[in-house]
Amino acid sequence: METDGDLIERSARGRPDAFVEVVRRHEVAVHGYLARRAGRQAADDLLGEVWVRAFGGRGGFDPARADARPWLYGIARNVLRAHWRATRAEDQNQAAEAVDPWDDVVDRLDSAAAARTRELACAIRALPSEEREVLLLVAWEQLTPAQAAAVLGIPPGTARSRLHRARAALRPVLAGEGT
Amino acid sequence: MTELERLGRVDPPAPAVLDAAREVLWSAVAAEMLATAPSQATRPAVGEPAARRAADDIASQPRPEDPGVR
Repeated sequence: METDGDLIERSARGRPDAFVEVVRRHEVAVHGYLARRAGRQAADDLLGEVWVRAFGGRGGFDPARADARPWLYGIARNVLRAHWRATRAEDQNQAAEAVDPWDDVVDRLDSAAAARTRELACAIRALPSEEREVLLLVAWEQLTPAQAAAVLGIPPGTARSRLHRARAALRPVLAGEGT
Repeated sequence: MTELERLGRVDPPAPAVLDAAREVLWSAVAAEMLATAPSQATRPAVGEPAARRAADDIASQPRPEDPGVR
């Protein structure tokens, strides 16, 4: 089977339709990434934009990379940030500022979550955002720390350090679980 | 599954959502294919039934699961 890198390279060399197979492979996962962070409706709305941005930027993808997920999550992350900035600017009718999207995630969870889950959500909210991002890429998207580093554009060692700190901070809440 | 993983579980998207997003991509793909030289082999499929059939074939294949989808 062709790797994602093979397909993306082929799509950049005269067969742009080959990119659709990459999308087919990862569309459920990328939608999940968006939905976990911005809710289902926003994920529905933003998914197509992720594909168009990825397609337009595929020339910058390293075809030696077999798995395109870290690259796609990085694009999805940028799309989300633009979405949050626009939403915040629209809501407040002012220039966009740094946004912490975790507030939205906690709001989304509160209605259905049990007390213990809310406790965990609050502990995650209390993490520095850069640690939280690494943690959730590993725990929710099943990426390795090195892949999470690629999403965030940071060195792998930095990602591992952040993951270690995040896990240590959550350990009291997650006592007995192998996070 | 850990509690943290459970916290990240979401419902899978409806097929129509995936189709709509792929349709947006196909517009970009078709635009690029139309912009290529007419002599290229891919040229005749753009915006025509062949391209749509290809998209439909792809859409009908089973999709990998998102690890966080319930």
